[in-house]
Amino acid sequence: MVYYIGAFGLIIIGLYVLMVKRNLIKMIIGISLINTGLNLFLISVGFIKLGTAPIFSKPGLNPKIMVDPLPQAMVLTAIVISVATLAMALALAIRLYEHHGTLDMGKIKDQKW
Amino acid sequence: MNPVYLIIIPLLSAFSIPLFGLISKKLVKFIPPLAMLFNAVYAILLIPQILKKPIVVLMGGYSLPFGINLFVGPLGIIFTGVIAIIGFIVSFYAINYIKEGDKEKYHMLYLLLLTGATGAVLTGDIFNLFVFCEILCISSFALVADLGDKRSIESSVKYLIQGSVGSGFMLLGIGLLYGQFGTLNMAHLAQIITEKYGAAQSIPIDLFIPFVFVIIGFGIEGSIFPLNAWLPDAHSSAPSTISAVLSGLAIEIGLYAIIRFVFTIFGITSILPALAILGLITLVIGEITAFAQANIKRMLAYSSIGQLGLIFFAISIGTSEAITGGLFQFLTHAFSKALLFLSVGYMIYRTKSMEISSFKGIGKKMPFASLAFLIGSFSLVGLPLFMGFSSKFIIVKSAILKNSTLFNILIMVVLLCTIIEGAYFFKVIQTIYFKKSNNIEIKKAPATAVIAFFILIIIIIGLGIYPNEVFKILQCGATELLDKSQYIRSVLG
Repeated sequence: MVYYIGAFGLIIIGLYVLMVKRNLIKMIIGISLINTGLNLFLISVGFIKLGTAPIFSKPGLNPKIMVDPLPQAMVLTAIVISVATLAMALALAIRLYEHHGTLDMGKIKDQKW
Repeated sequence: MNPVYLIIIPLLSAFSIPLFGLISKKLVKFIPPLAMLFNAVYAILLIPQILKKPIVVLMGGYSLPFGINLFVGPLGIIFTGVIAIIGFIVSFYAINYIKEGDKEKYHMLYLLLLTGATGAVLTGDIFNLFVFCEILCISSFALVADLGDKRSIESSVKYLIQGSVGSGFMLLGIGLLYGQFGTLNMAHLAQIITEKYGAAQSIPIDLFIPFVFVIIGFGIEGSIFPLNAWLPDAHSSAPSTISAVLSGLAIEIGLYAIIRFVFTIFGITSILPALAILGLITLVIGEITAFAQANIKRMLAYSSIGQLGLIFFAISIGTSEAITGGLFQFLTHAFSKALLFLSVGYMIYRTKSMEISSFKGIGKKMPFASLAFLIGSFSLVGLPLFMGFSSKFIIVKSAILKNSTLFNILIMVVLLCTIIEGAYFFKVIQTIYFKKSNNIEIKKAPATAVIAFFILIIIIIGLGIYPNEVFKILQCGATELLDKSQYIRSVLG
């Protein structure tokens, strides 16, 4: 239970950062927080207290106390995707700073509705 | 015939582009058209086989529901076919159009985008759907920033922030579904949900929460109001070829994912009127804002929001005929919007301005591009003889046949929006053809562009006059969506 609270807490902190902060780097940190929270959430879906790895490494292991390996595989994929997004975001932040001389998204308003 | 090649060939050729770039820089631009031509031909050849029986491919040989499977049904092959045909035409056009910037990266990312789109519509596994959507998203973030100027970087940053929040919501919804039902396979998930909840009228709360997360996630990708703030910026500052692909294909992938979740996986039909109203709001907002634009690419981008709202509205009516009409409208929008963006591409290139007022009298100087714009806008507005007429006609007819007061009122709003749409398109056409001309030097139109225009024009007029053959395939797609038990049976046996 405590893992779910932690995971959703991280997601909500991330969303808060995205909504309130105007600095692009801080917003990217917010995205990163959301992704970390999501990964924690996915891991806790498959988690069992005092569980073992899902490998029959020695006889007499009970399949009931093995943790679910599928969310871990999903998290591995999700981490790779979030790293790619993060790299892309940071690269764009550098280019944005070159063009505008600021990272404050409140001041960058060339495009409006 | 194994449909997995539809994903492998574009992916492989995308990553082979840098290798070909080592041999010759000129070779690179011919790879995307070839890969997409292969996909288009292969998809069309697969159609007769799929109409008889959907093909299920097991990836990695794991038995269902444990492994990832591809489900190639009528709906999947329609989307794949349209992606491949438009991808081919746009990349053919791009041979001459893309002159600046890093061509290798452009062509590679372009193919990756189309791979992501194809994979997302063919997969039968929700996590796999998420992964392919991310391939599509990340490559489109990069492609929006392709020009590298002030505008495009800013739009790309906005798109990236909103897009990654969207993908976060998608993953949250998928995680909740896995946590509750212990499976990721679409058919297995649908089976469990049907068994557990049956045909309950009200939506149970443990289905509703993941449903909302998934709708928000894919709604950002599919730019449904109020989640579409990124779209006009991103679509207007990308290169025109990319705008054509993003508007015509990429946002429809979000829509595909939503209808897959609503109809096949959750099977919640009681929420459809709410979705119809959401689609209608998207339509009204899109068309009214498009009317107010002075920048041609922004106008077309807002018009895309409107069209997407219309497709969403049509599918949310929920009858077989309405879904057919919605899918037809998807075809119309994809082909017409691609034609419009491609024609505008060269107009902007020659006049060096995106303002509509600078296109005065361009009709005599650039006859092919102007003709393409004319036909694209006629088709989108829905004049007879063009594709848009058939699709809008079916949508209006099915909404009236639904025989409910709500839909009668809603369809009136839709028709009103069509008038607004006509107004802003005809305003541009008037500027192009009937205003006194500025000084634009006449240059010979590049052959690739003219051929690309004519292929699209032939498709638009051809399907406008003979819609029947395509209509039959689209009807099979609608049946696939509505008949959930058939889907489950064809995957799980």
